Amino acid sequence: MQLKDSNSKPNTANAVDTIQGWIINQIAKQLGINAQTIKVTEPLTRYGLDSIDSVTIVGELEDWLSAELPPTLLWDYPTIEKAANYLVNELGISPAQTSATEAPAVNNKPQEAPKEKAWGGLWNKISGS
Amino acid sequence: MQPLKQYWVAEALEKALGDPGNPENIMSFPQVIDLDEREEFPHEIINWLYNWKLQHYYIPTECGGEFTCFDEFISFVRVLSRRDQTSAIAFTTMFWSYLTWMAGTEEQKRTLASFMKDANGAMCLAYSEKAHGSDLLASDVRAKKVPGGYIFNGEKWPINRATISGVTFVLAKTDEVGGARSLSLFMVEKSKIDPANYSHLPKIFTHGVRGSDMSGIRFQDCFIPESMRLGAEGAGLELALKGFQITRALCAAFSQGAADTALRTTLKFALGRQLYGKTVFDMPQPKRTLTDAFLNILICDCATIGVARGFNTMPEQISVWSAVVKYFVTTTLETVVQNVSVVLGSRFYMREEHDYGIFQKVLRDNSIISMFDGSTVVNLHALLLQLRQLTKSRIKNAGRNQDALPARLAATFDLTQPLPTFDGKKLELVNRGGDDVLQGLELALTSLQNLPADASLNADVLQQIITLTQMVQEELNHLDCQVTESTFQFGHEQAPEVFDLAKQYCVIHTAASCIYMWLYNRHHLGDFFAKGEWLALSLRQLMLTFRPAKALPGRIDDEAVAQELVRLYNDSRMFSIVPFQLAKPQQQETTTDATQRLQLQA
Repeated sequence: MQLKDSNSKPNTANAVDTIQGWIINQIAKQLGINAQTIKVTEPLTRYGLDSIDSVTIVGELEDWLSAELPPTLLWDYPTIEKAANYLVNELGISPAQTSATEAPAVNNKPQEAPKEKAWGGLWNKISGS
Repeated sequence: MQPLKQYWVAEALEKALGDPGNPENIMSFPQVIDLDEREEFPHEIINWLYNWKLQHYYIPTECGGEFTCFDEFISFVRVLSRRDQTSAIAFTTMFWSYLTWMAGTEEQKRTLASFMKDANGAMCLAYSEKAHGSDLLASDVRAKKVPGGYIFNGEKWPINRATISGVTFVLAKTDEVGGARSLSLFMVEKSKIDPANYSHLPKIFTHGVRGSDMSGIRFQDCFIPESMRLGAEGAGLELALKGFQITRALCAAFSQGAADTALRTTLKFALGRQLYGKTVFDMPQPKRTLTDAFLNILICDCATIGVARGFNTMPEQISVWSAVVKYFVTTTLETVVQNVSVVLGSRFYMREEHDYGIFQKVLRDNSIISMFDGSTVVNLHALLLQLRQLTKSRIKNAGRNQDALPARLAATFDLTQPLPTFDGKKLELVNRGGDDVLQGLELALTSLQNLPADASLNADVLQQIITLTQMVQEELNHLDCQVTESTFQFGHEQAPEVFDLAKQYCVIHTAASCIYMWLYNRHHLGDFFAKGEWLALSLRQLMLTFRPAKALPGRIDDEAVAQELVRLYNDSRMFSIVPFQLAKPQQQETTTDATQRLQLQA
């Protein structure tokens, strides 16, 4: 799946795609599941994202888009498709915002999920195990 | 009279309630213990408080009441709680009215205000269910839409004041599909629904707060009019979480009241009891235990007052501040009660021997505070989910807002500054813009380093405050690194180590609160406060979370703190950074424990 196409001229459809790709990437990475298995039309709760997680992920989205978003965005638009459409078509998130190069998650391909529970391997690193 | 007017209600209430050691007085220790022994709901006490019109201070002025700020609120809840947590908790279920003040229609607000003021009404919160614990979304109570309202089915349990209350705030499932928008909140007026369609569950016998009406409510095809729904359909979870931000922070006041009594009764014992030719208090070890307990109360006071004022000044950050206080203050003060029990020796375990046995009641009652309205684990979880965002904002905001930030901190921590009106609509589910308290730490350090020469300020004490503040800053930087280097994971199966990070965050936030409290109030909270030994000792105590004692500056002489403790005791003043006046003993008690028992029986 192509997450960002910097050669083509940005347009609205492209912005929706990019946002969808970004969310897929986040969910895949943070829930430790394969990005290919995530469907944009499925409610996010299906992947184990609970109501409070949905609020905190909006914070990451805000950082990436440099925009203030309703914290309950993913409560009111509970699929990746609905959320992305809302952001672009209702909130007017511009294609330029989504193509910002300061988006590490977008620039990286979906990574293999960390196997360690909770915040990756940090604790193993610290404890030296 | 106390110059800070946010303490006037607390002082007036104290005066009216009188000496808790006099059995004749309402809310006296003998009376509340007697009720507790019989596991009876404190009806008379509650009625007395209504007659005193205390319920008006739960209703915002714009809704026809007297409430203006949480700063004032927590001080009078401390007064109730130092006498009897059972009554305090029973009366204070009224703070759930905030759900209506936040989300209700004008009509709903009028209804509730009148119910509280004119009908001595109380409310309860029906969120929990036997099978689901803290998992609110798993609600089995269904609200099925019908013309004009909803049909309720299901059971809520355990609920404080489920039976003895006229309004029940019920969280119910209005959307079978599930998800974060599947819950709605209802302000159910029992007098307006059919008694054939609901019933109460039996009283639960509890470890402490034994006189509480801990019970439940069951609905069976119960029609609830649409006019009883608070806010929009589907807004229930959002309202519930925001309501918890308020009540969680205020729970700290229950703990502060309990810790005051635990320390006061123990101190009374230690000052009067002779062993080895001197009083218990004159022996170094008990004295240190009691002095440290006092310091912990002051530390918690700074955090609690900070968040109470923060509701007015920084409502968008309260999701974090509130979790910090609910975790840190309640668990720290539980430990304080445990620690001072050692000084009482076997007396702490006896139900009559000392001060009518109030200590053992405090010990039992107080152990619920860290559990209700969100347990320690729930609060730390709410916090740890936000750590990454908090760290990012701190890094992003570093060096910015050089003018606005000190002004916001001053408004929050300078107790003489007037507070803007609290607007519940400004509460946010997650912190907006970072945590001012930690963002300002560097500025606080600069302020400390630039303090003008002050003859009343001991240079060694100031130096220690500065050194320890630098350590707090180092620990914050270290925490930032740990959080930044980590990859975050969602869900409820977080590693225990991540919970530890959240605990450390609470300690750093609290340390910073103590520092601001001192910086912004040095000139108006009295000599003891101004001299700052308490702050140096408190910061050192907090830093023991991170470093061994030998890696910290040596402990300064704590005699001034010990003497202040005794002075506040002798003057009957609250153990607090604002030691407001408590009711004085009507006669200096020289009676022995045996005659106290006789008084009780008389």
